[in-house]
Amino acid sequence: MKLVIRLVLLAAVVALSCWLWTIFFPSTEKVIGKKMASLAETTTFSAGASSFSRAAKASTFIGYFSSDAQIFMDVVGLGTHTFSGRDEIHEAGNGGFATLPSLKVSFLDTTVRVGPDQKTADASCTVRVTIGSDKDYGVEEMHFQWQKTNDDWFITRAETVKTLK
Amino acid sequence: MPPFRFTHHALIVCSQLSPGFRFNTAVQDVNDSRPHWLRVLAIGRRPRNTLIRITVLVAVCFVTFKFILLPIRVEGISMQPTYHTGQVNCINRLAYLRHEPQRGDIISVRFAGESVMLMKRIIGLPGETVSFHGGKTFVNNQPLAEPYVKFSCDWEAGPIACSTNQFYVVGDNRSMPFNLHTQGRADRERIIGKLFL
Repeated sequence: MKLVIRLVLLAAVVALSCWLWTIFFPSTEKVIGKKMASLAETTTFSAGASSFSRAAKASTFIGYFSSDAQIFMDVVGLGTHTFSGRDEIHEAGNGGFATLPSLKVSFLDTTVRVGPDQKTADASCTVRVTIGSDKDYGVEEMHFQWQKTNDDWFITRAETVKTLK
Repeated sequence: MPPFRFTHHALIVCSQLSPGFRFNTAVQDVNDSRPHWLRVLAIGRRPRNTLIRITVLVAVCFVTFKFILLPIRVEGISMQPTYHTGQVNCINRLAYLRHEPQRGDIISVRFAGESVMLMKRIIGLPGETVSFHGGKTFVNNQPLAEPYVKFSCDWEAGPIACSTNQFYVVGDNRSMPFNLHTQGRADRERIIGKLFL
């Protein structure tokens, strides 16, 4: 009986250690997954958000992109748009944060693949965007390319993926 | 002669019989033997059997709704009037194990995963060409009978050719403007299954 208790305790300690290891030393996939979740949170704001809060979110939003980042958007009903470089993305972001009544962004089914060099990564997800009321929403598949610079990860390319060609 | 049953109930010793002989005079106490109705309601008369039933039920539900029928809730107007927002349905993942998707099937097409999917009807099969003229659908330049399309349509598009791995899918609500209606060629590997109901 004592042996069983000891084995159970040992298993519990091993499980706890593994869990703590993943907390303190998360994998690259997890780090990028958290960054994506944080990006979704940054781009989400309610109708009652103040101008100051929106400007702060726009400023945080641009921090996720590298200086030479590119965004390619091809959305049904909105057409094709391309934003190149941080300045252009910042400008578009500022416009969106200032003019949209409210925005809710969620990244679903996120999968991250880290490159063999451990300095680049690809992430795919389904983006659900709700503007204003809950009835006005759009769903698009998106692909992100991440690059590690100065121990931090930045988006170098974000593009919509055509689910139906 | 049936054997005597020794229970935990009170025993009476009959001195007229041999000293070691005992027989059960315990009367079945109805109030004591029957469990409380609330207990019966919660875990049944035989808790062990109830536990087994619950375990089997949970396992069957898990396997069914994880690997066979995927529960979904319909959102959007593109499949009206066949399906409306708020309707609950299931996707049969095993529908295309033995044969390929057929024309007229209502299928689900995944995005990056299965949290959100497109629900569309197949109108074009691999290798076929689909076009819309005056609101009518043409497959390989032949008009397609579509009794499920109830709303008027004025679409002009195509021809669009499907490769050997693609199916042309579109919603039943053709009253929407063509450029606002999500439709096109879906790769075979993106098709999750067929709508169950």
